[in-house]
Amino acid sequence: MSTAALSLTPRQRRAFGLLVASEIKIAVRRPVGLVVAVGIPLALLVIFGSIPATTRPSDKLGGISFFDLYVPTLMVFVLIAIGLMTLPQQLSAYRRQGVLRRMSTTPVHPSWVLTAQTTVCLIMAAVGLTILLGAGAGAYGLALPRDAGGYLVALVALVLTAAATLGLGLLVAAVAGSPQIAQALTAVVFYPLAFFSGLYVPLQEIHSQVIADIAKALPTGAGFNALHAAFGGHSPGAEPLLVLAAWAVGSWVLATRLFRWE
Amino acid sequence: MSTTQLIQTYPRASVSVSSDRSAPGVIEVAHLRKAYGATVAVDDVSFTVRHGEIFGILGRNGAGKTTTVECITGLRTADRGEIRVLGLDPRRDRRELHGRVGVQLQESAVPELMRVGEAVELYASFYREPADGRELIAMLGLERAQHTYFKHLSGGQKQRLSVVLALIGDPEIAVLDELTTGLDPEARRDTWRLIEGIRARGVTIVLVTHFMEEAERLCDRVALIDHGRVVALDRPSALAVAATTSKRVRLTPTEPFPDELLSRLPMVSSVEHHGPEVVVAGSGDLVTAVVLALHRAGVNADDVQTETANLEDAFLAITDETTHADTNGATR
Repeated sequence: MSTAALSLTPRQRRAFGLLVASEIKIAVRRPVGLVVAVGIPLALLVIFGSIPATTRPSDKLGGISFFDLYVPTLMVFVLIAIGLMTLPQQLSAYRRQGVLRRMSTTPVHPSWVLTAQTTVCLIMAAVGLTILLGAGAGAYGLALPRDAGGYLVALVALVLTAAATLGLGLLVAAVAGSPQIAQALTAVVFYPLAFFSGLYVPLQEIHSQVIADIAKALPTGAGFNALHAAFGGHSPGAEPLLVLAAWAVGSWVLATRLFRWE
Repeated sequence: MSTTQLIQTYPRASVSVSSDRSAPGVIEVAHLRKAYGATVAVDDVSFTVRHGEIFGILGRNGAGKTTTVECITGLRTADRGEIRVLGLDPRRDRRELHGRVGVQLQESAVPELMRVGEAVELYASFYREPADGRELIAMLGLERAQHTYFKHLSGGQKQRLSVVLALIGDPEIAVLDELTTGLDPEARRDTWRLIEGIRARGVTIVLVTHFMEEAERLCDRVALIDHGRVVALDRPSALAVAATTSKRVRLTPTEPFPDELLSRLPMVSSVEHHGPEVVVAGSGDLVTAVVLALHRAGVNADDVQTETANLEDAFLAITDETTHADTNGATR
């Protein structure tokens, strides 16, 4: 897909640009995805940021505040909400309604829609994360990475987590025959993954080695670990990044193999 | 007997098409076959579409029309057979084909929250030398719907938008599948005028339909498809003329009479009762024979009407024949 993108003619680039623009318009016209991906994490940030107890460093959490622990979780949440909720819903609806079929009769392959959707998801994720971190740092004293190295690690972790969650979303869209099945599959995948990002309760408070080990192997847990380290000024080590990369590559390869245009 | 004669129109037509080597067809299909698992959608379909004509593919629902069209337009790979469209292999040369052939398919749409004008602009950008989108929108009477979301369009407007999108690439061939299904009669007539207008621009048109009237009114030639096979291929009028050999007489007898009275006549193929009315089907000088036979038996007939055959009769006659042939084949 990337080599194809490089060999686009100016006309094709214009077509792709229009496709992305129309997908953005559609996303804004039915902003459910935006509300879930941006609104919910922002609301949680405001709630926990406003409670004095959660912003105070806690010995139980190794000397950091609940708030600082929870923001990486919210970042992961933005990515799984977009990757697992918005993307497969939209793609399976397009397949059901015949949008992909309509496009397959033009010189443009329906995979363009998929690429455009993914692009829009990345844009939405970037906007959502910027708002989240901006609000966190500006209003609630969120600790940002301390140096350029920390930012770089955070960026790599975010990109890999986004790639893994979008890949899982594509996989759901690939195997789901209808929007209803996509929705059910999303729920099955989403809630456990959200748990291992620490969304319901920080995993550090559970004190279970088994839970921690499972989290390390999952994209949300690995994403949380990498982001938590980067924002806390530590090195996450190679392990979480490798786990994320493996999920990203595996899900994309499988999704592109299994995807049906009709 | 009459239907056997009809079946013979098919080989005649196919010979005339294949002998027309001086003007190669823009679409050539030979022995196309496509099955989905155990279900054979298209069994053996061959035809040639000539430049500039309106070619009809006519058949009942499930006869294999859409699958045929999907193979021609490169959306499906045929199991067997040869297809050439503008000299291209629809599967291998898909992208070039889709730049030169506009397709309007059933069960296809643009996103619900896309506006008409946006869809036209977007689709125009897919083609090297697109047609003028505004002109097409005007031609199809969609100016006032330009800012309407796709999901808020009426059925007729959606159909007209899909015609705009099929023509936006300025195609050499337009394939229109069940274009007028779901339209009211007036909208249907408007669409017919439109199709004639498109042909006047030099576009070859493949029209898939199950409306006889539509095929009769619009098409230069029609391929009748039944059970995945071409059962007849000719001008609609020629097919209808062939069907006049199987005409019908309607009459209301003054008193009841046994069916054998008429059914034993050599030219009668069936006798049916519709309330007080009797419908006699057959061939040759049917009216005279029927009225005479009734008269001899002392039965008078009021309100005797003969029906002129049209394409619908031809279609029914031909597809009935193939259905019987299938049944015989199965019991044999």
